[in-house]
Amino acid sequence: MVRPALGVLVLAVALGLAGCAWDGPMSTVAPRSDVARAIHGVYAIITWATVGIALVVFVGLGWVLWRYRARPGVGPVSQTRGHSLLEIAWTVAPALVLLVIAIPTIQVIFRTQGAAMPPNALEVTVRGWQWWWEFRYPALDVVTANELHLPRGRAVVLNLEGPDVIHSFWVPQLGGKRDVIPGRLNRITLVPEQSGEYWGQCAEFCGTSHANMGLRVVVEEPEAFERWVAAQRTPPAEPSGLAAEGQALYARSACVGCHAIRGVSAGVIGPDLTHFASRDLFGAGMWPVTEERVIAWLKDPPRLKPGAKMPNLNLTDAEARALTAYLLSLE
Amino acid sequence: MATREAALLRHEPVTHPGVATGIRSWVTTVDHKRIGILYGVSAFAFFVLGGIEALLIRLQLAQPNLSIVSAETFNALFTMHGTTMVFLAIMPFSAAFFNYMVPLLIGARDVAFPRLNALSFWTFLAGGLLLNASFLVGTPPDGGWFGYTSLTLKQYSPSISIDFWLLSLQVLGASSLMAAVNFVVTILNLRAPGMTLMRMPVFVWMTLVVQFLILLAFPPITVGLIFLMFDRFFGTHFYDVAAGGDLHLWQHLFWIFGHPEVYILILPAFGIVSEVLPTFARKPLFGAPVVIYSGVLIGFFGFGVWSHHMFAAGMGPIADAAFAVATMLIAIPTGVKIFNWLATLWGGSIRFTVALHYAVGLVALFTIGGLSGIMHASPPVDLQQTDSYFVVAHLHYVLIGGSLFGLLAGAYYWWPKMTGRLLDERLGKVGFWVLFVGFNLTFFPQHYLGAAGMPRRIYTYGEGTGWAFWNLASSIGAFGIALGILIFLINAVRSLRVGARAAGDPWDGRTLEWRTSSPPPPHNFDAIPPVHGRDSFWREKHGDRAGRRPTLPPTAPEPHGVHVPSPSVWPVLVALGIGVAAAGALLHVAVVVVGALLTVLGVFAFALEHHRNPAHADQIGNLGVDHRKLAMWIFLGSECLLFGTLIATYMAYRGRSVIGPYPHEILNIPLTTLSTFDLLMSSLLMVLALAAVQRGDMAQTRLWLFGTAFFGLIFLGFQVYEFTHFVGEGLTLQQNLFGSTFFVLTGFHGGHVTLGVVWLLSLWLLALRGRLGAADATKVEVAGLYWHFVDVVWIVIFTLVYLIP
Repeated sequence: MVRPALGVLVLAVALGLAGCAWDGPMSTVAPRSDVARAIHGVYAIITWATVGIALVVFVGLGWVLWRYRARPGVGPVSQTRGHSLLEIAWTVAPALVLLVIAIPTIQVIFRTQGAAMPPNALEVTVRGWQWWWEFRYPALDVVTANELHLPRGRAVVLNLEGPDVIHSFWVPQLGGKRDVIPGRLNRITLVPEQSGEYWGQCAEFCGTSHANMGLRVVVEEPEAFERWVAAQRTPPAEPSGLAAEGQALYARSACVGCHAIRGVSAGVIGPDLTHFASRDLFGAGMWPVTEERVIAWLKDPPRLKPGAKMPNLNLTDAEARALTAYLLSLE
Repeated sequence: MATREAALLRHEPVTHPGVATGIRSWVTTVDHKRIGILYGVSAFAFFVLGGIEALLIRLQLAQPNLSIVSAETFNALFTMHGTTMVFLAIMPFSAAFFNYMVPLLIGARDVAFPRLNALSFWTFLAGGLLLNASFLVGTPPDGGWFGYTSLTLKQYSPSISIDFWLLSLQVLGASSLMAAVNFVVTILNLRAPGMTLMRMPVFVWMTLVVQFLILLAFPPITVGLIFLMFDRFFGTHFYDVAAGGDLHLWQHLFWIFGHPEVYILILPAFGIVSEVLPTFARKPLFGAPVVIYSGVLIGFFGFGVWSHHMFAAGMGPIADAAFAVATMLIAIPTGVKIFNWLATLWGGSIRFTVALHYAVGLVALFTIGGLSGIMHASPPVDLQQTDSYFVVAHLHYVLIGGSLFGLLAGAYYWWPKMTGRLLDERLGKVGFWVLFVGFNLTFFPQHYLGAAGMPRRIYTYGEGTGWAFWNLASSIGAFGIALGILIFLINAVRSLRVGARAAGDPWDGRTLEWRTSSPPPPHNFDAIPPVHGRDSFWREKHGDRAGRRPTLPPTAPEPHGVHVPSPSVWPVLVALGIGVAAAGALLHVAVVVVGALLTVLGVFAFALEHHRNPAHADQIGNLGVDHRKLAMWIFLGSECLLFGTLIATYMAYRGRSVIGPYPHEILNIPLTTLSTFDLLMSSLLMVLALAAVQRGDMAQTRLWLFGTAFFGLIFLGFQVYEFTHFVGEGLTLQQNLFGSTFFVLTGFHGGHVTLGVVWLLSLWLLALRGRLGAADATKVEVAGLYWHFVDVVWIVIFTLVYLIP
């Protein structure tokens, strides 16, 4: 009984480790910011402490079951009712282990949340909408959606605002999640430490398309970030050809009620499209910005993204193509 | 052994109630054993439903970008799965064992209030059916089992799906509350002679702790749901951010309930394991008092840790640190339990029955669930783990590895007692291993999925996340769990049809339930068994540590035969009324009225039946207190939490209204002082009424009972005037946050006064017709306790709402 079980266990562990990639795009154990690193420190201590306790219990349990299995010829067993000293011991021992966990926990809580706002921090207003992310850089006069650009090495303060229901902003490699709650201001302060593209996703159930509320964070070297800001601040180029037709169509249809494109429309409840084509993905992390994908989306948003607030405007193929040409011109 | 036992149970022929048969006998039964079986069977049916929901969830997630179910369906599936498993499967599974086993374990013939017990069951069934009826009309709840506002407000969830959810939860809460009062009184007051509190089996202790948790944890969620209901039905502003509401309110109210609820789900399983391990190790539970105190401490700490569900919600570093430390403290008594169980097995002679397999399974799997719980007791770690699959893994290790394995241990352990037949041990072991492997294959990989960043409650996920492989493994494992449960079902059905007959004491048990036949007769014990210590029955059979056996007193036949309460049709009718009224809220106000009428009529008939034919000839129990009085005190304890939550909300929302009228512009202190004085005087009259009935002066009793009710009516008149006046001044429920909190708080109090007036007038009518005598003084006293309580609550409201500017 025991030997095959052990074999299965070893196999399972080997298979398990083989099947696990600990540095996936949403990994919680591959920290790339100061906050994520601090969390990871506590995470590691607790993980090893709990794994150690588990091993003690399992080995003890296994041994007791084996040693004291009922065997023929064993007489009545001693009716021991307890042992005070032992019981005190296994009350005190866990308390000591908990101290080892509690101390770094409290240190990290105050280090990551208690600190005053760092000077020279970049402030970004993050709004979670059903089901996409809005990012505003008030000091830089930049507004974008679903793709957050941050400079490496500079403190960032994310002010989380909820205009509709509760969401939760979570980019695991940059730190823990924080809820976006209507009527309350939550804040994340962190310093990205390594450039790269990090995935994030809404972590609080927020309705039909909760699963389709992803985001990307692009951490860049400061110079690259400055270039990005400059590009975002430039008004979009005047469209020509099919794109111009698209712009005319955009300007006279329902699009303008929700979306903003600088100089064209000022809607506020949908993503800002001023530099739509500068982003890699659209639909809150759902699809790459390609002609084919954008056309498909425009023709029937609620089918592609369940519950989407953007209605099906019954566009003809020609209209969808023109609009797409316009959107793709917004670099 | 058998001859000893037979000798013990021998008695003179006395009148015994026969065993009734047929559907009618089940519908009207008040026998705790039958009610236990009803709970068990219904819970299993709902458990299968919840399991099917889980399988659909796992099918959808088996691979990236599947569309086996739609996003909407998926959201409904996980909402219903969670709600069903918590409220309709695990809680009633536990209730099945409370009902069947607790009276047997304490040597009682039934519970304190057998009719109320039936009402609890039928109300539970009504709530469960109402919740699942949402599938039939195509609007299953889809806001998550935790129903966070503002997502569950009308604005974001306009269909009646959330209404189904909140109304069913209210009905289920009422059921749990009634059962809790009943079991506290039963355990405190109906113990056999010699069964001191510290001699009670640990399962009974855990039952007691759970009932207190229910009594204290359900009122906050009840109030939270009332607010949600008022927001959705009547346009109040409790969760309306624009009107000054705070979305943390719901989270606090939900988790003040939600965390103790976890212990409501796990402690019964701990109790079962504490019975099963000693029986099959043939040793007493190691350090039983410490195991009991640990359970009490877990329950106690359970109320101080709710905010660890809100670390991501932004409460600030101080609250985070405090709740983190409190949460870690719970690990200590929990760890003590694990070590004491290990020490129980140590030095024993372990028989590997199926029940023992499941009990050991619990010890192992709960250890994993408990330790992963310690991980997210640390807020920084929790910020990475919460709302990810890591938490899904954790909670299933606690609720399946802990609760369900414990309940299955109980099922295999007590099945012979409940049915008189044995389950197949070999098939049972196959089932155990299938379930054990399936469970670990399903949920262990979810730790990894969480660490790899997979959020909970997503209906699909894309490629490139690295989540596909272990999701597939998890989905395969889920079908292993289903197979394991199916094997249990096959074993159960086979046992009922062809299983070997079980003797009264098939396991060489230690506690009183094994001292009677399997299944026990309707009256449980021919003679109430004497109790000489912990594991009393074991001592009778094998002697204590020194081998001494207790001398049994001669069993005296009961002089008047055994009194068992007669069946009643009223519990099922009252429950039907409650169910119809709740369903009516989704249909038409006329249906609500019909349901309410049915409930009121049923309650009157129920009460009169008790008046004519009480369930127990003698209502005074171990504590020297009348069962009904004890029940009222316990109920009022729960009511404190209800009013406490309402008042706390009023205080928290003071000064947050964004438009007028404001309190100081409108509250009339002189007038309310007058009505407060009137209500206080009514308490004086109540005292006079009780004194009169106790000395048998029925003329004075009638006078003062009517006087009390009359003063109550005057108070209500004041309130009607005040409300009308306020509405005239522009303050309505919908006007602002002050209107919402003021009317709901004082309205609830007014409702309590109204109920009191009706109660007093009913007693007065009984007295007028000469059907109330000095022997009924307790009934007046119980009504008086309620009346005084309602008065005291008013003094608090008057002070906090009216007097403090």
